[in-house]
Amino acid sequence: MENFQELDALKLKWAEQDRKLDLNIRLNRRLLLATNLNRVQSPLRRMAFFLGLEAAIGLVVAIVMGGFIYDNLGTARFVLPALALHIWVIANTAAAIRLMVGALQIDYDKPIATIQKQLEELRALRIRVTQWALLTGQLVWWMPFIIVALKGWFGVDVYRFVGVNFVVVNLLFGVAAIPLAIWLSGKFGERFGRTSFMRGLMRDLAGYNLNAATGFLAKISRFAEES
Amino acid sequence: MTTPDHQGRFQTLLDEHRKILYKVCNSYCRNRDDREDLAQEIIVQLWRSFGSFDERCRFSTWMYRIALNVAISFYRRESTRTRYVLSDNERVLEAADERAHAPHDLQVLYQFIDELDPLNKALALLYLDGNNYAEIAEVLGISATNVATKISRLKDKMKEDLSGTTQNK
Repeated sequence: MENFQELDALKLKWAEQDRKLDLNIRLNRRLLLATNLNRVQSPLRRMAFFLGLEAAIGLVVAIVMGGFIYDNLGTARFVLPALALHIWVIANTAAAIRLMVGALQIDYDKPIATIQKQLEELRALRIRVTQWALLTGQLVWWMPFIIVALKGWFGVDVYRFVGVNFVVVNLLFGVAAIPLAIWLSGKFGERFGRTSFMRGLMRDLAGYNLNAATGFLAKISRFAEES
Repeated sequence: MTTPDHQGRFQTLLDEHRKILYKVCNSYCRNRDDREDLAQEIIVQLWRSFGSFDERCRFSTWMYRIALNVAISFYRRESTRTRYVLSDNERVLEAADERAHAPHDLQVLYQFIDELDPLNKALALLYLDGNNYAEIAEVLGISATNVATKISRLKDKMKEDLSGTTQNK
């Protein structure tokens, strides 16, 4: 740029341009009046609503599971898979409540460094919860769920058809699938994720979104630091 | 709280400060549809928070805080974005593309701002809009001394980046 100007000189031109804006921009008040602003939900409110729903469903499932465990006390082959599901549901429900409370506490009229830090911490937690839920979910929501559901709903004992070894091998296969799932989502997630939601999920699973969130958190800390 | 008077006052204040809305949306989104989505999201958030606006600070300071907070999280959000109003044909903020008709040196400045990270973008915008260090500090949540240091670095960066551009030409 041949005639480079300092930021302060450009500030004057910015102000000049600013005055022209008064004439050239218009707020569509008619459209605003037609829109019931009280009824629209911000993304955070919507997220909090779905987290609340998830927590409520989780609580119901945890109660049902507790009943199943109580009914089968003394029968380890049913209690153990039910306990695994029970712990998973309770942990997931607790995480959903924690995220919901965090989302409801965000107050956008607080200073930027504070709110962005809160938002990014919430995002990092949300990604960790998603990662954890997807990777461990495929363990508990497969064989343990089938064992508990068939016994609980139909009184069928799955072990009579498949045997304990089959269940153990299934679980071990599920554990081995965890690093494979992380690798596959990192390698092919962007290419094969058909919707932005799926691509986001793949990026969560691969850890890319978590890296971005922790990176931005570090950036906020450096920004807020006295230097 | 949501009487027609209350809503009317909100719309009047929003109209008086529409330039803030325009500049924040333009600084954080290059795409026209994204700008409209962001403008709507900011208005929704401003309206939701308007009940707690206690006039202890100026409306513009309060508006900057909310608009920039929403813009930064909009910019960083990886999921799909939502449009709130019913009409696809109308825009809540109607404006000619001022940027395309701006003088060359201002266009270079816009480009410099585009390349800043979202936090420094907020700092540059507040500074160029004529806010003093104390006001900028209040919006950003950092000390006024820190603001002064960062502005000075921003000036150096601008000098360095643009002289780099000159040398490369």
